[in-house]
Amino acid sequence: MSKGTKERAQAKRIVQEQLARERRRTVTLWTTIGVVAVLVIAGFIGWAAAASRDKDTSGKLTVPTVAVDDGTAFARGSGPVNIDIYEDFMCPACHQFETGAGPTLTQLVDAGKVTVRYHPIAILDRYSSTEYSTRSAGASAAAAQGGKFLEYHDVLYANQPPENSAGLDDAKLIELGTSVGLTDQAFADAIKNKTYTAWATKVTDTASSRGVTGTPTVMVAGKKLDNPTPEALSAAVGAAGA
Amino acid sequence: MEIGQTARATQVWPWISTVARLGLAAVWLIAGGLKVGDLAASGRAVNAYQIFPYEVAKVIGAAQPFLEIALGLLLLAGLAVRLSAGISAALLVIFIAGIVSAWVRGLQIDCGCFSTGGALGAGAEPAYGLDIARDLGFLALAGILLWRPRTRFSIDGILMGDDQ
Repeated sequence: MSKGTKERAQAKRIVQEQLARERRRTVTLWTTIGVVAVLVIAGFIGWAAAASRDKDTSGKLTVPTVAVDDGTAFARGSGPVNIDIYEDFMCPACHQFETGAGPTLTQLVDAGKVTVRYHPIAILDRYSSTEYSTRSAGASAAAAQGGKFLEYHDVLYANQPPENSAGLDDAKLIELGTSVGLTDQAFADAIKNKTYTAWATKVTDTASSRGVTGTPTVMVAGKKLDNPTPEALSAAVGAAGA
Repeated sequence: MEIGQTARATQVWPWISTVARLGLAAVWLIAGGLKVGDLAASGRAVNAYQIFPYEVAKVIGAAQPFLEIALGLLLLAGLAVRLSAGISAALLVIFIAGIVSAWVRGLQIDCGCFSTGGALGAGAEPAYGLDIARDLGFLALAGILLWRPRTRFSIDGILMGDDQ
């Protein structure tokens, strides 16, 4: 091989390497831009989806006229100390709480010591195939509008469907209403027309913004009880000055 | 002998990295896919960490599943693998920090890593140690890709003109 050929081959290789480097740089630049663009768009889609859901909620919102606390709860009794109960009708621990602390609550209400405010929130929709949490919370609003919140609340817990089931269907929700005296058409219509679905979402959002992350969450005079036993309830009400 | 080993390493690494890339892609696609159906719940899961105000947590919770899915698709396709792995690693470090902070503060929550999380019921124990160990495993996958981003069957490879 002559010297000239060798040098030419070497020069050619250097040029090729430079071209390859150039190509890698271009590819890296554009793929980087591509990745950043894809991620920004993905984030934006999420944000837009959440915003449209919020808009949906506020657009269809019907607040039961009997609701208290910014229209997010139903009151029982009129005592000086507020007990706020955040519950999901799908939640077994809420059922246990109601069974255990129910008599104490009744006693405190009857003694005129407390106002119990029930916040029916829907955070367990994933445990039923029919979003039972949201539907039952909405149905309880219809019951409140018909003047029978507590009765309906109790009968919903007595008939609580198991987790990971289909939940109770609308016909059953209406039938349970009838069993506690909610016989007017307005109650049945509200369930069929999903009148209070957006309201259930709003109550849930309000609870989340107040730091409620699970159910049951029980607050006495605004202070969260870590373990809401009947004894803890009575003690907290006593400490709050009633 | 030594040259032979180096040559073999050069041949083997792209395969190891390919497995890491597809594994990490699956992690993101599953994690995002499980959350994307209920963005409100995803927002509540972020809120359960009690780090951000709810309004902020809601936006993070809504954007996160889409980001995870996008990252999964990018890794699956093998586009800008080193960058995608770097972003994955950064996200995982943030997640681990979040879990550690929840643990330290004694919060009783589900990490919401592969579900829509939230508070745990009475009697349920958080599994923070396991969650962190799992995330460290994923971080190792991202680490492999940061170190050796060349993989088989990737768009990067096609664009760079690698012989596959």
